[in-house]
Amino acid sequence: MRAGLRSLVIAAALLAAASASAALRVVATTTDLAALTTAVGGDLVIVESIVPAGIDAEAFESRPGDLDKLRQADLVVRIGLGYDFWLDALVVRVGNKRIMRGGDAYVDASAGIPLLEIRGQGVVNEGGHAHGVGNPHYWLDPEYAIIITASIAEALVRRAPEHRDRIVANRERFLAELRTRLQKWSEALAPYAGATFIAYHNSWPYFARRFRLNVVGYIEPKEGVAPSPAHLARLISLARTSQVKAILHEPYEPEETSRFMAQKLGVPMLKLAISVGSMPDARDYLALFDYNVATVANALRARNP
Amino acid sequence: MSGISEMLTFLALPFIASVVFVLIHAYLGVHVLRRKIVFADLALAQLSALGASVAFANGYDVTSPAGFAYAFVFTAIGAALLTLTRNLARSVSQEAVVGILYVVATAATILVVDRSPLGAEHVKKILVGNIVTVDVAVIAKFAALYAVIGLLHWWVRRPLLSLSSERGPEGRSRLEVWSWDFVFYLSFGIVVTSSVATAGVLLVFSLLIVPAVIGFTFSDKLSFVLLIAWSAGIAASAAGLACSYAFDLPTGATMVTALAGFLVLASLSKVFIVVDAERRRARLQRAAQTAVVAAFVCILVSSMWLIINPSGDQPLLALLERATGLGSATFLSSSEGDTYESAARDIVRFQDEVDRLDAMEKSARYQGPPLADDEIRRIASYQQTFNEMTRGEQFVRNVLQTKARTRERWIIGLPAAIIAIAGLGLSTRWFSRRRRGEGDDHSTYDSAEV
Ligand SMILES: [Zn+2]
Repeated sequence: MRAGLRSLVIAAALLAAASASAALRVVATTTDLAALTTAVGGDLVIVESIVPAGIDAEAFESRPGDLDKLRQADLVVRIGLGYDFWLDALVVRVGNKRIMRGGDAYVDASAGIPLLEIRGQGVVNEGGHAHGVGNPHYWLDPEYAIIITASIAEALVRRAPEHRDRIVANRERFLAELRTRLQKWSEALAPYAGATFIAYHNSWPYFARRFRLNVVGYIEPKEGVAPSPAHLARLISLARTSQVKAILHEPYEPEETSRFMAQKLGVPMLKLAISVGSMPDARDYLALFDYNVATVANALRARNP
Repeated sequence: MSGISEMLTFLALPFIASVVFVLIHAYLGVHVLRRKIVFADLALAQLSALGASVAFANGYDVTSPAGFAYAFVFTAIGAALLTLTRNLARSVSQEAVVGILYVVATAATILVVDRSPLGAEHVKKILVGNIVTVDVAVIAKFAALYAVIGLLHWWVRRPLLSLSSERGPEGRSRLEVWSWDFVFYLSFGIVVTSSVATAGVLLVFSLLIVPAVIGFTFSDKLSFVLLIAWSAGIAASAAGLACSYAFDLPTGATMVTALAGFLVLASLSKVFIVVDAERRRARLQRAAQTAVVAAFVCILVSSMWLIINPSGDQPLLALLERATGLGSATFLSSSEGDTYESAARDIVRFQDEVDRLDAMEKSARYQGPPLADDEIRRIASYQQTFNEMTRGEQFVRNVLQTKARTRERWIIGLPAAIIAIAGLGLSTRWFSRRRRGEGDDHSTYDSAEV
């Protein structure tokens, strides 16, 4: 199926290349950045992501096809902060200076982002999990899309100055829609400001900050290590004292512990989309927040109507 | 805090689950050890994971009947392959076949999961497993399943046990051997498939092998082996669970370590306790002698390492410093020592600042006036600065420590090396003279026994 999709993409690319002067080939490391690039680039770009939807980008293993994608790329967009650290090795293999750090076809989307949970450690912690610089899950604050799309738009204009107006117009249109929805999302969650949660992985600080939620603890004490019973016991008493309303669970993590905690506490376990495509309803960047906000709001409404 | 009762409510279910696991796994472990196929459980578990991923790729939920059917069929295929390769064992060890089966099943799983990425969660679950989160329904299901399999094995114990014994299939038709082998592998596959999903590969493997090995350490009679294996397995599980709770460690890994600890204890008691007084004395003596020599060798090696590379990691010296409280500061001038200590205080202070900023930002997420993006940026850059300053102080400490170690190299390293060499020479001479003087009877009959 993927091969079919790829040949379709290639066919589309050839067609576009023939008709328009040149569609820009953009390779984004994650589906979220791919979705945002599509929003800004519209039909000026052909976007591919390296990490497939629903895969943990922090534990991703690249494959030869990724080199092909990068070889043909006119622009590379990455999360940075060590989250997609494997990109560096791939780009070195490709050897194209323009898509390396500092090149004019390279976008580190974390540039200019107000980061949370700054840590002084190296880029990659033990276990290959990258929260060493700061928390890398910043795309889960929808308002940051303004900054991210600015970086992407700037790079696209740099590569195709003749399309500047269209790129700017695309971005404005997307941001207008984003602002309307952001209004709705904020209203949906406003009654529950300060609601407390426990999350499996520390993916939600940006989401929590934007919608004024309080994630009090994490099931996964260290990335990739099974939680100890003492940790769970502490977490349960913490959850009871802070009246946790739900367990937030990332779809690609093992469910047992989250379900166990939810059962012990008598609260729902909510599977939230951590990236575009990681839940069936999270088809694009805006739909991701539609889904997450609705899931959280419904659960909270059910608990105190 | 009501520590004990809290711990009991938390660990009661995992403990019952591990008792259930130990009962069936230690028994199967006896077969597995006798058949010399200790990795067969990994191969079968991996095949069932492959089945589950194929089910997932075809659009079935892993926990649905179809998902279970896929897993079962793949396990059965594995059982059939293991059955058919018994005859191969004459030219190649069957363990090699088991290894190949495991590797191929793993590779195939990776390929299948690559086609349907969301299935990765299931495979991950099989590898990790967490016995802490087991619930009553699951334990009841396992207990029933294992009871059925246990009864079946009791019913047909004669052919199963004789086929697992050294003598092998003499006097039986090939078909008969094949069918009993298939029954064994299939039931074995069903057991490990179910337990691995709950307890994880590591723990299941240890539960299978370690208690049975402990049992065989003390006896060859099946009923004794089983009794010892069961008690050791249950005791080790209890110890592992309690340690995991008390010391805040991941449960599976702690239980595996506890099982290994029991194995070591069992071997030690076999060597030192379950023997007559005469031999015990001789062995204790020899153990003490070995320990003395080993200690001198350790001291010699680490003092040489200190002399050769004072700036490298010095594990034994660091241990000594921590035990005596005489840190590197002892070997620095008073002003250097002050710098060394104040750097340590600064590191704590800077990290406290980082944590304080973190806590402030975190609480502003949901209460009080929200922080604007620029305030967040300012906090981030403060934290960055504090982290850089921490690294600076760390660097200062490293430089001073190297300085201290360079001095220690002659003050401590050289005398320690001389003492170790002298000690080694004297003790080995003394031991060998003693042994010669004390009579050769112990050593001859000891080495014959060991
Ligand atoms: Zn993360």
